[in-house]
Amino acid sequence: MKKLESSLKNMLLVLTIVSAVAAFLLAFVNNVTSTTIAKINEEALSAGIKSVLNIGADEEIAVAEKDVDGFIVYEVTRDANWIGTAVKSTDKSGFGGDIEVLVGFNKEGKILGYEVLKHAETPGLGARAGEWFRTATSSEVKEVGALSKIFFGKPDPAGSHNIIGRDIAQGELKVSKDGGDIDAITASTITSRAFLNAVNNAYKVFKGNVSDVNSGATTQQ
Amino acid sequence: MNNWKVFLNGLIKENPTFVLLLGMCPTLGTTSSALNGMSMGLATTFVLICSNIVIALLKNLIPDKVRIPAYIVVIASFVTLLQMLMQAYLPSLYASLGLFIPLIVVNCIILGRAEAFAAKNTALPSLFDGLGMGLGFTWALTLLGAVRELLGTGAVFGLTLLPSSTNMLVFVLAPGAFIVLGYLIAIVNKIKK
Repeated sequence: MKKLESSLKNMLLVLTIVSAVAAFLLAFVNNVTSTTIAKINEEALSAGIKSVLNIGADEEIAVAEKDVDGFIVYEVTRDANWIGTAVKSTDKSGFGGDIEVLVGFNKEGKILGYEVLKHAETPGLGARAGEWFRTATSSEVKEVGALSKIFFGKPDPAGSHNIIGRDIAQGELKVSKDGGDIDAITASTITSRAFLNAVNNAYKVFKGNVSDVNSGATTQQ
Repeated sequence: MNNWKVFLNGLIKENPTFVLLLGMCPTLGTTSSALNGMSMGLATTFVLICSNIVIALLKNLIPDKVRIPAYIVVIASFVTLLQMLMQAYLPSLYASLGLFIPLIVVNCIILGRAEAFAAKNTALPSLFDGLGMGLGFTWALTLLGAVRELLGTGAVFGLTLLPSSTNMLVFVLAPGAFIVLGYLIAIVNKIKK
């Protein structure tokens, strides 16, 4: 078959047909996959809520969802008793962009657990936030030179970086460089600041001091 | 027989990463681990095979002057398709690669092969070209990812092989990608001679 000539009519016709076929195909696949995608997201969220509130995966819970000024608050009840609240909080000042964290609080306002839901931090550095802030301390400290710091990473400092069980009412969580008592992830202070800021804001939303959140977020920048 | 040659051409002789040096952005960006590199390679292979076949079939129906926009529509459709399918059926892989999937559209290997091969050949050889180029890209990214993961975190495919005292973080970061890529290209050139 001969190649179609590049006349205006042919060009218009071909591009329109190609685009229309592509649009129909994508609409069809979107139709097929959208329910599955929604279900997966829902399951991931409910598993996340259970995990940050230390609830067994099989336990029956009721979740009431509400939007407080951009923060999503999930109040969790079991047999009509309030057992805790999970707050989804996002901080925009991460090293690689937004960091979305789900933080679980018990009735007394202590942190029960957290999950990093979304992030774009550096693998091997900031991406360790998912584990770092719930693990106990490392005791090994070695002095290293500046060059090997860049090449090998500083050994994890001895100090506390576990936020589980903390009560933010006794003071906001801050990295030690900013005068706080939480050790930042080695070589990832920016990620650590953004993460702790997200947790602090989640607490403020939990306590109902929403107006604080926005002003607090701006001064932290 | 001819198809076999086309396949090997992409896999080794004109390997897109080590010889043609195409698609450097995903090559450097996604290879922080062997698994990420391999997944990116396989995702690209899927798009490359599909777009090569469709473009080879449509080449006579598309007027020359609008061929680039028409090819891009075809490629972008397959990438979006892949993105939706991955999100629905491989959510954990999507979580680690999601950012890079839309970038496959502008990966120059795909448009390059559409222009250089699929637009001049029939569907079957185009399929083999897509497969060869795609798998050539895949093994290159997997190797690059494995070396970076081993030197940076002491593991390959998440399996720890070296003690943490030998970890060199720089290899997980962007500069490490350039360093490893340079050495791998040098090694491949040496072997080819």
